[in-house]
Amino acid sequence: MRAPLARGSVLAAAAALALTACAQGTSDDAGTDAGTDAGAESTYDPDAELSGELSIMGFGAGDEIATVRLEAAEAVIDPVEVTLIEGDLDIQQFLSAVAAGDPPEIVYANRDQIGTFASRGVIVPLDDCIEGEGVDTGMYRDVAIDQVTFGGSIYGIPEFNSVQITMANAELLEAAGMSIDDVNGSDWDAIAAAAEAMVQDDGGLSVIGYDSKLPEFLPLWAKANGVDLLSADGKTAQLNDPAVVEALKFAVGIYDAQGGFSAVKAFRDSNTDFFGAGNQFATNTLGAMSFEQWYVNVLNESSPDAAMAFDTFRDKEGQTIAFASGSAWAIPKDSANPVAACKLATTMTAVETWQAAAQARVDARTEQGLPFTGLLTGNEEADTAIQELVVEIGDEKWDAAVAATYEANDNTFALPANPADAEFKTAWQDAVNRVLNGQQEPQEAMDEAQEQAQAALDAAWADAE
Amino acid sequence: MATTTEVSRTPSTDEGDRVRRSTSRKNLRAALLFLSPWIAGFLIFTAWPVGYSAYLSFTDYDVINAPTLIGFDNYRQLFDDPKISLSLWNTFVFTAIKIPLHVIVSLALALLLNRAFRAAGFFRTAFFLPEMTPPVAVGILLLLLFNGQDGLINSTLGWVGIDGPDWTTDPAWVKPGLVMMGLWTVGSSVIILLAALRNVPQELYDSARVDGANWWQQTWRITVPMISGTLFFVFIVNSIGAFQSFTEAYTAFFGSGNTTYSNDAALFYVIYLFQQGFEFLHMGYASAMAWVLFVIIMIITGIQILVSRRFVYYEGDGR
Amino acid sequence: MTTTAAEADAARVAVQPATPTNPRRPRFTISQIFIWAALAVTTVVFLYPFVWLVSASFKPRAEVFDNRLVPLNFTVDNYVQVWLEAPMALWLFNTLIVTVLAAVSVTISSAMVAWGFSYFQFKGRGALFGLVLATMMLPGAVTMIPTFLIWNGLGMTGTLTPLWAGNLFGSAFYIFLLRQFFLGLPRSLFEAARVDGANNWQIFWKIALPLTKPALVVTLLFEFKAAWTDLMRPLIYLRDADTFTVPRGLKALVDQFGFGGNFHWEIIVTASVITTVPMIFLFFIGQKHFVEGIATTGTKG
Repeated sequence: MRAPLARGSVLAAAAALALTACAQGTSDDAGTDAGTDAGAESTYDPDAELSGELSIMGFGAGDEIATVRLEAAEAVIDPVEVTLIEGDLDIQQFLSAVAAGDPPEIVYANRDQIGTFASRGVIVPLDDCIEGEGVDTGMYRDVAIDQVTFGGSIYGIPEFNSVQITMANAELLEAAGMSIDDVNGSDWDAIAAAAEAMVQDDGGLSVIGYDSKLPEFLPLWAKANGVDLLSADGKTAQLNDPAVVEALKFAVGIYDAQGGFSAVKAFRDSNTDFFGAGNQFATNTLGAMSFEQWYVNVLNESSPDAAMAFDTFRDKEGQTIAFASGSAWAIPKDSANPVAACKLATTMTAVETWQAAAQARVDARTEQGLPFTGLLTGNEEADTAIQELVVEIGDEKWDAAVAATYEANDNTFALPANPADAEFKTAWQDAVNRVLNGQQEPQEAMDEAQEQAQAALDAAWADAE
Repeated sequence: MATTTEVSRTPSTDEGDRVRRSTSRKNLRAALLFLSPWIAGFLIFTAWPVGYSAYLSFTDYDVINAPTLIGFDNYRQLFDDPKISLSLWNTFVFTAIKIPLHVIVSLALALLLNRAFRAAGFFRTAFFLPEMTPPVAVGILLLLLFNGQDGLINSTLGWVGIDGPDWTTDPAWVKPGLVMMGLWTVGSSVIILLAALRNVPQELYDSARVDGANWWQQTWRITVPMISGTLFFVFIVNSIGAFQSFTEAYTAFFGSGNTTYSNDAALFYVIYLFQQGFEFLHMGYASAMAWVLFVIIMIITGIQILVSRRFVYYEGDGR
Repeated sequence: MTTTAAEADAARVAVQPATPTNPRRPRFTISQIFIWAALAVTTVVFLYPFVWLVSASFKPRAEVFDNRLVPLNFTVDNYVQVWLEAPMALWLFNTLIVTVLAAVSVTISSAMVAWGFSYFQFKGRGALFGLVLATMMLPGAVTMIPTFLIWNGLGMTGTLTPLWAGNLFGSAFYIFLLRQFFLGLPRSLFEAARVDGANNWQIFWKIALPLTKPALVVTLLFEFKAAWTDLMRPLIYLRDADTFTVPRGLKALVDQFGFGGNFHWEIIVTASVITTVPMIFLFFIGQKHFVEGIATTGTKG
C-alpha cells in the first residue's frame, strides 16, 4: 500500500471510530440517563429559585388569547428568560433536538401525540409537578385529561378543546322541506333523504346536499352508531366492528348518492373561499355538514347575514356527542428547567389566566363590532366562568350556535392515549380513503385496517411495557 | 461522423509498463490533492452517518431511546409489508414515465432556446422559474389547476372536447398528474443542456450544412452525440432523484398535517419511509428501507452506466 | 496523429464564435416562426403559475382564488402585513450570507474534485467516482439525524454554519456535472500548456475553469437557489428567530396564523413571492454568462 494511502486509511478509521463513540454515547445517554432532570421531577420543589432559560417549541403567540396568557405565565416565572421557537411543532425538528440531548424545555403538542411520546419516555409524567403546584386536575375536562393519561400518570396539561356541531344552510333546508333536526345525525335515513333533496347536479355538482366529512369524522359516525374505534384501555382496535363498518357504509353512501366522493371533493375543493364571504354556506353551495366549532366565528365574521341553522351533532338516540381534540403542554425528558416549565404550563391553563384572556378577546371583538362566541379552554371551571362573558347576540341563529358549542363541549369523547397514535390513525384513515377512492369495499378495507392497527398496537404496547 | 481523439497509447513494452505505473502513481498523488475536499468531507460528514444508518437498519430505534439490535428482523418485515411493494411499484412506474419524458422535453426546450437569440435570457429565466417557487405554493397550485371539476387543465381539455379525469382523486390518474407537475420543473435540465449545447463547435454544423445535411440530421448526428455526456448526466441524476421523490407528492397528497385525505397511488417509497421513520418512530425500519432503496438505485444506475458506454461520447478523454 | 489533432483542436477553438450565430440566418422562415411560437406557448405554461402567484399576493383574502389574473381589488396590504410582522430585512441578510457562502464554496470545491476525477488517470478512479455517485443514492431522511448529531458534537447547532459549511467539501451532483464538462474539453489544450511549463494547479485554474464557465455559472445559480429555498436545515438547526433565514422565518409567520396557518392563503402566497423574487433577479443577471462559450479564451499558442 502506498504510504499516503495507508496514512489516510488509518486516519479515516480513527475518525470513524471516534465519531461512532460520540454517537453511541449520546444515544446511550438518552436511553439510560436516570439523571438529574428526571430526579428533579420526583423531588419537585415549587419554591425552588427560578433561573435560566425556557425555550418553548410548538406554540405560536398569534392572537390575544395566546399573548395575554403568555405574559401572565412569564410574570410568574420571572426571571426565567422565555424564548419561543416559532412555528408549529415539527416532528423532525423535535426529534433531532431530542436525539442530540438538547430538547426544548417545554413542548406544545397535539393531545393525540401524547400517548406516543409518553410511552417512549420522551416526555415525563407530570404528577409531581401537578401535586407540587397544588393543581386540582378535576378542573380540567375529564376527556381531555384521559387523552393525556398514560399508564396511570398524567403526561400533559390540556389546553383548548375543539368539538363538532351541525351547521346547515337554512334556506336550502327550507326549500327541500327539511329542518335542522333532519341533518343533526339523530336520524340517518333523514340525512340520506336530506342529502338527496338538497343536492343539485346538472352535468356537474352545483350544490352539495350533505357532507359527511370523511375520512376525518369516522370516529364521530362510529360513536353515533354506538362504538369507539379503540377500546378504553387503548389496547384493542375495534375498526372492523360491525357498527363501525355500518357507519362507514352510511357515510360513504352519502357521497355516492351525490355523485361519488371524487365529484364531491372536486367541487368542494373548487370553492377556496372557505374563510371568506364566499364560503359554501353564503354561496348556497352546501346544505349541511358537521364541523368544528371555531368555524362559527369565521362565518359570523364574514357572512353574518347568511341564512344558517345550528345544532349539536347527535347520535342515533338523539344524544349530543362530539369528538374532542386539542393541545397540551408536555415536558421533555432532558428539559433543563422542568420547574419553570411546570409553572408555565399550569399558569397558562389556570382559570384566572383563561378569564383574563377571554376578557381580552371580548374587548377586541367589541372593538371590531363583532360578538364574542365563547372559548373552549379544556378547563371546565374556566369554561363555565367564560360562558358568563358570552352576551346574547340577539340573533337567534348565532345564539343557537354558541349554545350548541357549549352543549357539545359537555358531551365529548375521545380516543384513549396509546403508544401507536400515528400508526393507528393512518391505518383507519388509509382504509377510509381506499373506500372513497373506489379501491376497496368498506368491510374489506376495515378488516385490513384492523389487522394493521392491531399489529401496530401490539408491538407498541409490548415495547412500552 | 464522430472523430476519435483518443489519447494515443504508448506501445506495450516493459519500459511502457513501468512508465505507466509510475505515471499512475504520480497521477494518483496529484489527483488526491484535488480530491481532498471531497475525501475530507466524506470522512467527517458522510461516512459516519451512512455507516450509522446501516447499523440502525439492524436495530429497533425510535430516536428517543437507544437502539436495540434485532438482527435481520427489519429486512424480513420489509418483505412481508404490502405497503413496501405498493410504494416501490408506485415509485417505479412514476420514474419510468417521468424520466424519458423529462429528458425529451428538456432537450427539446434546450434546442429551441438555443435558436432563440434575442430575449434568450428572458426565456431561460421563465423556464427556471417554477423551480424557484416554494413547494408549498406549488402544492396549492397543483390542487387548484388539476381540480377535477373546474381546474384549468380540465377546462382546457374541455375546449378540445375531452372530459378530463379527476387528477387529484382518481387512483389511475394521480401519477400522470404528478408526472405532468414534475415536468414543470425541467428548467434546471434545460439550463444544463443549454450550457452543453453552447460548447458544440459551430464549425461542425457549418461543414455539415456544406455537406447538405438538414436540421434533423444535424441534430442526431452532431448535436446529440456531442452533448451525450451531459444527456447522460441529466438521465442519471434525474433517475436517482425520481426514485427518491418526496416533496411534490407529499405536499399534494399527504398534506402538511391538516388534510386527512390521502391517496395510496401517490404513496412513493420515500414518503412511506418518512412516515415510518418520523411519524411512527420506527427509525430502524426506515433505515432498512433506505438501504434497500440504495441497493436498487445502485443496480439501476449501474445498468444505465454500462448501457451508456455504447452511446456516450467524450470529446476530450477516454474514460 | 497527436500533433495534427492538437493543431486542429487549437485552430477550432480559436475560430469558435461566441454564440453559434449564423450570419446567413433568414428572419422569418417557417422554422423561426415555429420556434418562436413553441417557445411562447411553453413560456406561458411555465410562467402562468408564477404570474398567478404574484397576482394572488396583491389580492385581499377573499379573492385569492377567484381565478382572475388581474386583481379586482388591488391591495398591497399583504406585503405591508408581512413586512410589519416580520423582520424581513434581517432574514434576508441571513439568507444572503448563507446562500453566497454555500454557492461559492460548493462551486470551487466541486470544480476541484471534478477536475481530480477527469484530468488524472489513476487506478481506482472509476470506483472512487462510483462512491461519489453512491452518496446521492441514500435518502437524506435517514442521514439527517446522524448529521445533526455531528454538528451538535461540533457545537455548531443554533448557528448558520451547518446550513452552508457542508459545501466546502463539494457536492456529488455538481462534481458529476462539472466532471462531464471537463471530460468534454480537448486534451491537447492541456498537453500544450504542460509543454509550456504549467503545473497542475495552473492548468486547472487558468485553462480548464475558464473554459467551463457556463457550467460554473450553472453550479453557482443552482446552489444559490437550493440554499435560498432550503427549509429543512434551518428548521432543525436554528432556534433563535434572529438567525432565521427567509423560508424559516416565513414558516414561523404563517404558522402563527393558527391551524397550521394553512388557511391564510394570502399570506402564504405573499410569502412565496417574497421568497422567490430576489432569486429571480439574481438568476436573470447571472445567466447572461451562459452566452460566452470557450472562444474568448482559447489557446495562447
